[in-house]
Amino acid sequence: MNENHERIEAFQSEIDSMKLKAAGAENEARLLILGIVLAVAGIGLAVLTAVQIGNQDDVVKQTTLLGTGSFLGIALVIAGAALFVRFSMARHLRFWLIRLVHESRANTDRIVAAIEGRSGPDQPN
Amino acid sequence: MIKDSVTDPLVAEAPPLLELSGIRAAYGSIEVLHGVDLVVPQGSVVALLGPNGAGKTTALNVACGLIQPTAGKVIIAGRDVTGAKPEDLARRGVITIPEGKGVFPNLTVRENLQMATYSGRKLADIEAMVYERFPRLGERRKQLAGTMSGGEQQMLALGRGLASDPALLFLDELSMGLAPLVVEELYGIVAQIARSGVSVLVVEQFARTVLGVADRAAIMVGGRVRRVGAPAEIEEELSAAYLGG
Repeated sequence: MNENHERIEAFQSEIDSMKLKAAGAENEARLLILGIVLAVAGIGLAVLTAVQIGNQDDVVKQTTLLGTGSFLGIALVIAGAALFVRFSMARHLRFWLIRLVHESRANTDRIVAAIEGRSGPDQPN
Repeated sequence: MIKDSVTDPLVAEAPPLLELSGIRAAYGSIEVLHGVDLVVPQGSVVALLGPNGAGKTTALNVACGLIQPTAGKVIIAGRDVTGAKPEDLARRGVITIPEGKGVFPNLTVRENLQMATYSGRKLADIEAMVYERFPRLGERRKQLAGTMSGGEQQMLALGRGLASDPALLFLDELSMGLAPLVVEELYGIVAQIARSGVSVLVVEQFARTVLGVADRAAIMVGGRVRRVGAPAEIEEELSAAYLGG
């Protein structure tokens, strides 16, 4: 073993200086779950507010409940659904892309093998 | 054998430059690595061997940041770099030579080397370094890479990787589709690279030639590292691993 101490020390300091974010996969899973939680909470809030509005005779209180409960609930459902679609689609598309790359590589290998088969095996120079 | 494969005691004592700890990784819902532990000490060559589908390339892709693990840690030079982008690691000297001939076939040798100038080095310096190590590439500098032999294309891929001044080099199936003599020549070059202080992790399916240059070897089967040891010990167990023993 021959060691290039200077290079290794420089490498260590460069790795130390790297700025890292939390692991992407963990973040995605968390945001996906957050999306589901927000959407369910939004639906619950909207339904609860609708029941409360039905029990109210006062139009002013009904309007207040509509503003604070129903609209907030709908906003939560939209935000939650957006998060869910964004991150479940990302996961699905990433898997699809890996499959495409893999198939493309397999096809290229088959073509190269066919060409080499016709022109003879690889020869050392 | 290119070099005596008995483990160098200095390598065994050297601190690890790369450490995979409890790595799990999946493609979609299919988990392919089930807790991989692997160490590459500073200045050593480690061979990761195993049959097709064992998860060797996935482990390599996790180490270089191309695939994010679902669990476990990637530690480089003592720092947890799990989740780091591959381009950030590459810029700092973690270089991967991918499976297959990792060159641009429709570009000349010189143009392929020009692609390595992203690292900030001048083309003239890169050419001088690569042509000194691989004189054959110097003779073919104006030739289209796709028209060269498989061995020469691998030399070009290696040369381009070396142009980025690696501290940690990952080689994926260097021997694929090449004649045994060419493989031996390439591994001779890998041994020279390792002697210059670069730590190397080599993934191979069949080539026992790699055991001649390795300081340490590991057998991977079914997404797990089954055995780590001196190359001589590992060679005896290779056949059993391929046959599912």
